[in-house]
Amino acid sequence: MVQHSVLAKAEVEFEEIRKFEADLELCTRCGFCTFWCPVYREERVESAVARGKNMMIRSLLAGNLGYSQEFADRLSKCTLCMACAANCPVSVHIPDVIVAARADTVKARGIGFPYSIIYHWLLPHRRLFGNVVRLVSFLQGIFLPKSEGTIRHLPLFLSALGRGRNIPQIAPKFLRQILPVVNRPPTGVATKLRVGYFTGCMTDFVFSELGKHVVNFLTRNGVEVVVPKEQGCCGAAVFLGAGDFETGRRLADSNLKAFEGIDYVITDCATCTSSLKDYVRFLADTPERKEAYAKFGNKVKDISEFLVDILKLPASIYQVAPEVRGKKITWHDPCHLSRHLEIKDQPRQIIKSIPGVEYIEMPDADSCCGMAGTFSIYYYELSKKIADKKIKAIFSTGADIVVSSCHGCELQLIDGMLRNKMPVKVMHLMELLR
Amino acid sequence: MLPSETITQLKRIIGKEGVLTTKEDLNAYSYDATSVWTHMPEAVVLPTTTEQVAGVLKLANEKMIPVTPRGGGTSLSGGPIPIKGGIVLCTTRMNKILEINKDNLSATVETGLVLQDFNNALSKEGLFYPPDPQSFLSCTLGGMVAENAGGPHCVKYGVTKQYVLGLKVVLASGYVMKVGSKTVKNRTGYELVSLFTGSEGTLGVITEITLRLLPLPPARKTIVVIFDDMVVAAAAVTNILSSGVIPAKLEIADNFLIRRIEEIMPVGLPVEAKALLLIQTDGSPATVEADSKQISSILKRSGAKEVRVAKDEAEADGYWNSRKAAQAAIYSTAPSVMVEDVTVPRDKLVEFIQKIEEISQKYGLVIPILGHIGDGNLHPNILTDIKDKENFAKAKEAMAEIFDTALTLGGVISGEHGIGLDKKPFLKKAADPLAIEIMKGIKRILDPNNILNPGKIWEEDGTT
Ligand SMILES: Cc1cc2nc3c(=O)[nH]c(=O)nc-3n(C[C@H](O)[C@H](O)[C@H](O)COP(=O)(O)OP(=O)(O)OC[C@H]3O[C@@H](n4cnc5c(N)ncnc54)[C@H](O)[C@@H]3O)c2cc1C
Ligand code: SF4
Ligand code: SF4
Repeated sequence: MVQHSVLAKAEVEFEEIRKFEADLELCTRCGFCTFWCPVYREERVESAVARGKNMMIRSLLAGNLGYSQEFADRLSKCTLCMACAANCPVSVHIPDVIVAARADTVKARGIGFPYSIIYHWLLPHRRLFGNVVRLVSFLQGIFLPKSEGTIRHLPLFLSALGRGRNIPQIAPKFLRQILPVVNRPPTGVATKLRVGYFTGCMTDFVFSELGKHVVNFLTRNGVEVVVPKEQGCCGAAVFLGAGDFETGRRLADSNLKAFEGIDYVITDCATCTSSLKDYVRFLADTPERKEAYAKFGNKVKDISEFLVDILKLPASIYQVAPEVRGKKITWHDPCHLSRHLEIKDQPRQIIKSIPGVEYIEMPDADSCCGMAGTFSIYYYELSKKIADKKIKAIFSTGADIVVSSCHGCELQLIDGMLRNKMPVKVMHLMELLR
Repeated sequence: MLPSETITQLKRIIGKEGVLTTKEDLNAYSYDATSVWTHMPEAVVLPTTTEQVAGVLKLANEKMIPVTPRGGGTSLSGGPIPIKGGIVLCTTRMNKILEINKDNLSATVETGLVLQDFNNALSKEGLFYPPDPQSFLSCTLGGMVAENAGGPHCVKYGVTKQYVLGLKVVLASGYVMKVGSKTVKNRTGYELVSLFTGSEGTLGVITEITLRLLPLPPARKTIVVIFDDMVVAAAAVTNILSSGVIPAKLEIADNFLIRRIEEIMPVGLPVEAKALLLIQTDGSPATVEADSKQISSILKRSGAKEVRVAKDEAEADGYWNSRKAAQAAIYSTAPSVMVEDVTVPRDKLVEFIQKIEEISQKYGLVIPILGHIGDGNLHPNILTDIKDKENFAKAKEAMAEIFDTALTLGGVISGEHGIGLDKKPFLKKAADPLAIEIMKGIKRILDPNNILNPGKIWEEDGTT
């Protein structure tokens, strides 16, 4: 009896980690990941890198370490950039093990305040979240001077997320309040496909202009765009960042429901895309969920992948937006796009098709910018150091505009440019197009 | 655990950020790249200057606390494992390049600089540092000097010791000593630079290194050769070397590794092939052309099944990347792997490989072979499982027999990885008893309290 209950406890204790045990065992401790890990390259301490984290988790299973605060801290010090996995000679995916260990840690310890409020309570409730953001934006309008460009220093809630980082202004009107649910191609344009648009929190609350633009671009090219009101946050910060799988499942289930009966789910944010696809890997706790999440994941497409590989738009469709004409442009690969989804060529192909702009490849375009949501909240100083390397690489190209398609990266790059007083503009891929 | 007073003193020397004491952090310094050795330290220090290293050693020497130096932790002999507990002194934050001197063809670097970061900086200047352990993405220059590491390039260019001109070393007492110089020649008494090179962290902590450099060869070519038989491949190697041409790299892999390479990063090798030679020539374009032709024709005459010359850099890089990955990838093929680095005179390679194949059959063990065959250095990797007592015992016997064979053929038990913890029991067989006594004597002079990496190289028998 006693034996049995001990065993049962141990199994529950390591429930998520066990699913990735093969990876855990495969690591050969060669240390090659130290060369690629953005966190290790700043800190030069073993617990920062995949090898050290992996050995820590092994020691946890062996009973030599427990779910301590220190353990949780070491786990959160990872951007999930996948550079270790992409360059690992035995293709071990330690970042998966790290996410799983975060989940088991949360089960054992709970999530700390104030993040518990944000992850558990606000992000899953879109309306409430929107209202809080709205309130903050209202206060911001009254109490704070407008900073350069569209950037403002947000107090209260968002500053908890940013710890004093430069954060863009909240949109005067949220995207969902502007867009109808069904957006049909204009008269005279035949409907080729019908897709759902997953807007994500950032496009919804901050980059609503971009959202309108994406919908216009798609409809003009014969795509009917459905924007379900019931969609919520993708959950990246919740289940990948904080390891709160339970809330993650709530988000996942409601997103699945929102997009029921739709063949493609398009997003304009790399983190959203890969997180939606990650439901099956991390959150599928029942056979039903496994099947449903897998099916859903397959429907999800990054916007550049959709335009190039599925719509197969001819190059001539990509016409330059007036404010971009004649500019030099460089592309930053979001980790969630380049390594998580292996999408590298499509965005470059689009940029290179745009007449009247000059494309310049930056050195190490796919190195992590150091944002990674939760990570940058806990470790803003470290996150800035990683960003500064990226800023330097961008600057070395002499580009006028750095383009990406992940809102996390965009925030980080905007913050980095402002801190370093650099004139380079940060834009989303779709903003380049007319 | 160290007394809290000692921790406070360490923090005073290094700063709070550079002293780790939580269980989680200590755990991350309890291993190296071997699969069998682990031991927890009681504290980890991450100094950034020579003065800090000196401060730590002075304190440790007064209090008789063991100090184990550690670089990238890629050792394959248990070298940086703090087997007696105490302090791990990790050099990864001492990673600056202090000088690259194009006119003197030399560079001075801090000890924790990672080899690939060094190579990247050198190639921008058109310079070249040949020793290339296949852990170049993670090993440090200090670790390379302490292990006198080598790699594929060593067949033509020699090992680390051929490049170390000068060192800054902190002795156990905390005394900071400079040995050697910045000159290519130096005949100032005994060769103390050589003494510290290969000392496995037992004689002093190296903090700065001055290295000899070469100009980057302007041209390179990679030749891939397939054989039906490992022994025939080994004979071909001897034929090349005795023909008057020395390739820049000359590596071997057997069928097990060929299949493993094709699994992890396919480069189009025939998976049924029994042996692979990977060869690089370098020099002026004309030399490379001529050498490659000569080598190719010798190979064909020596029974090669296929000789393929890489069309371009990208194809060549593919082969060499797979070579780099292969060593690391062996470990994931069995729960425990004994990686050996036995080395024999090159005229004995054929016999040696035959013998290893026999041993593998005799014990019924899988022993994949990979190695720097051009310099006689092979890595027979014994696949086993430390938890399976019977199998592990057999593996140990097989290992001992491989060592015996190497010694009988006039070879050595370690060509590059060092003795560390792994090969301690075999030192007596491999070295003259008086030579071991002299080593211990040197250790006593430099480290009378035996605080520096204690428990390594020789078995303790009460005389140390
Ligand atoms: C995949 C793989 C491939 C490898 N290939 C090769 C190869 O081709 N050739 C080869 O020779 N080796 C090879 N090795 C072994 C290993 O990488 C080398 O021995 C390397 O030189 C160790 O460097 P490190 O910085 O990791 O040192 P560590 O492993 O940290 O330490 C090694 C030893 O050096 C001592 N030490 C470290 N720094 C100092 C210092 N500053 N002062 C004094 N002592 C110090 C330590 O105490 C320890 O005894 C390989 C290892 C791996 C994992
Ligand atoms: S994760 Fe991969 S690269 Fe890192 S130590 Fe393990 S095997 Fe090597
Ligand atoms: S995912 Fe990125 S940050 Fe995390 S351990 Fe791997 S390389 Fe480092």
